[in-house]
Amino acid sequence: MTFKEHDKKTFIADTARDFAARRISKRDFLKKLSMAGVGLSAFSAGMLGNPRGFRGDTSLIGTEAFAQDASVTQWLKDVSGPFKGTKIRYTSEATPPTVVLDKLKGEFTEATGIEVEIEIVPLEQVLAKATQDVQGQLGSYDVYYLDQSWVATFSQDTVDPVQYYKDKPDLAMPGFDFEDFSKPLVEGLAEYVGKWVGIPFDIPIFMLMYRQDILEKHGIKVPTSPEEFTAAIQQITAAEKANGMFGTGLQAKSGHYSLNCDWTQMVWNEGGSIFGSDKKFKGNDEAAVRGLQMYQEWAKNAPAESLNSTWDGQWQMLASGQCALVQSWDEFFPGLDADDSKVKGLWMPAKPLVGKPLRAQSDVGFGEIPGYAHQGGSVLSLSKYSKNIDAAWLFTQWACSKDVMTRCTLLGGFAPMRLSSFADQRVKDKAVVGPGTTRHLEMVKWIIDNNIASEPDMPLWAGFSNNEIPVNLGKLLTGQDFGGDAKKCMDAIAGLIDAQVADAGLL
Amino acid sequence: MVIFGLYPLLYAIWLSLQRKHPVTRKLSFAPSYNWSKLLGDERVWNALGNTLVYTSAALLLQLILGMAIALLLDSDRKGYGLLRAMMTLPLVIPPAVTAMMFLLMLNGSFGVLARGIIATGLLPPGFSILGTASTAMAGVLLAEVWQWTPFMVLIMLAGLRSLPKEPFEAAAIDGATATQVFFKLTLPMMSKVIAIAVLIRGIDLFRAFDYVKVMTDSGPGTATETLTSYAGRIYFGNADFPYASTIALLTLIIVIFVSFVFMKAFKVKL
Repeated sequence: MTFKEHDKKTFIADTARDFAARRISKRDFLKKLSMAGVGLSAFSAGMLGNPRGFRGDTSLIGTEAFAQDASVTQWLKDVSGPFKGTKIRYTSEATPPTVVLDKLKGEFTEATGIEVEIEIVPLEQVLAKATQDVQGQLGSYDVYYLDQSWVATFSQDTVDPVQYYKDKPDLAMPGFDFEDFSKPLVEGLAEYVGKWVGIPFDIPIFMLMYRQDILEKHGIKVPTSPEEFTAAIQQITAAEKANGMFGTGLQAKSGHYSLNCDWTQMVWNEGGSIFGSDKKFKGNDEAAVRGLQMYQEWAKNAPAESLNSTWDGQWQMLASGQCALVQSWDEFFPGLDADDSKVKGLWMPAKPLVGKPLRAQSDVGFGEIPGYAHQGGSVLSLSKYSKNIDAAWLFTQWACSKDVMTRCTLLGGFAPMRLSSFADQRVKDKAVVGPGTTRHLEMVKWIIDNNIASEPDMPLWAGFSNNEIPVNLGKLLTGQDFGGDAKKCMDAIAGLIDAQVADAGLL
Repeated sequence: MVIFGLYPLLYAIWLSLQRKHPVTRKLSFAPSYNWSKLLGDERVWNALGNTLVYTSAALLLQLILGMAIALLLDSDRKGYGLLRAMMTLPLVIPPAVTAMMFLLMLNGSFGVLARGIIATGLLPPGFSILGTASTAMAGVLLAEVWQWTPFMVLIMLAGLRSLPKEPFEAAAIDGATATQVFFKLTLPMMSKVIAIAVLIRGIDLFRAFDYVKVMTDSGPGTATETLTSYAGRIYFGNADFPYASTIALLTLIIVIFVSFVFMKAFKVKL
């Protein structure tokens, strides 16, 4: 008998169960476990292979339909002469557009002779590296990948691309067309106090996703409000828990930004906001606490691992059939329809849940935009301290051009920033079930135009959203502190945040 | 020595004496700011407590298991050499990879270890070991102990193999039991080796970061937050480099102080 002969996932469980039921002796139990122990390392190492990975459609690379626009190639050749041999660098998280761009950057190098090094690291390291760079004004990175929650923090360190386009007509890409970027994206993502901090590059946004088969099985209508969602997940959990399925799945990892994203959506859904117009934290007011209490209920109807999962773990829950209804990132879709997916074609996109009337923008602080669809976009920004700023500018224009953005969408199936990409026939043709599907994009466009929500634009937000808020929420949700009392938890967070905002002189 | 040792240390000290303005990011000289903030920061004391629990538990488990396994492997019989060589395998895996392996194996939904534990009835189905405040530390310790117990085994084995044979032969002639031999001979004669092993592992454990970062990211809440992981969060999350340096320096001061006391108490000479 060898370890290979057994189902690797259940070997230890079966052995333990047999021992507990006295079907095998202690000697056999230890013998089997020691045998499994040798296999465990290899098995787990194997599972490390592709926990997130790229889930798009790489089969298009090299095809005629996917070839670079000849006019773009020509322009790159025409303007890049002085920069041949230059190397530009930027650091980014492994978001789908970055992964795709990393695959396409060879086209840019071939045409320009400019080498591009993309350092792909976890999100918090991107922030630390960019912060170190601007702190010392080092110019180690020519381009910054900035999450929407950092835009305000870095606004002073970046070059306004619209202005630079005007200032450098000899380097301006013909037909770049800043007007082609979706307006709500520019306002919610790229702009800070009237300045473009970068060019919109990525727009994961919350939408409702549901398993049509499960909802039909239980006679549940697609929920349209948080209350209906709650009732639906309670019903599904009650009926399906024994089969290993829960109503929903969350990205509620304590101390992670993903939990902050979920929480902000719950606050907005209940008509609350993160800050008030007096710039005081409002996450502890009645509406916000109601939102958090509802999230606590959702957590009861989600796999326990939700409390230790970020967006990757949440995607796994969707992909492995552990949940039936999720309010989360649209970027999950292409992977769910991949050829090796167990749930191919089963998940459907829907409009986000519409909760209580939204708090007016005049009643909130720091440029927050309450809405029903949390956006987690990012921008590509040109570093003010870059020593190769013009070469970097060529790259940034290329990366955010109509041609490349549309092709990135085709390859990865994620939402484009440009209106022209949404309208591109090739993108529309891929709106069918299959790898790199774009069948969710019509809904995404509607959501961007109608429901987009943005977190506050303030210099301390990167810290609050990565530390104070998700750490204390984690304490509440996992029972480490606050005794399950949402109000108590939010009061503690309010104390921490208000003190820091005052200390920074932002009141 | 100056470049690799002294400069980073001096830079950290210099940083700890600065205050970073959260908006302008400018540094200003404020020698007591970070240190007084540290003293009043509840999370520092929670992290210190967690670090002490983590260090002591891991040390104790590794010591007991290390000694037990070393005694079992201390033989010249056929095949034991191979077994001793195999003990080094976990040590060559990068800690972050080990942490990832255990993160997957402890996943309540599909992890083999979690399913094994759940099958014994000790935990309810689907229970999240790493997502529950009361069990997360044990989960992280599991990875730590799995990877570093072999290090203890190797040190103990080296010590056992260097012990003189005569006292053991005399004890055997006198009819001493195995337990008597272990407690009256082996353990006292191994005390210096054990002290050095505890010192080396203790220092290493006090700086625990990899397993915590990958497996729980200091959570749930702050249940597994150690001093170094808290410093990491302040550094990476809040980008407050001066305060992160201050916490790191506190760790260094504690390690130096405890090591000094330990070396004096156990008369360890390196």
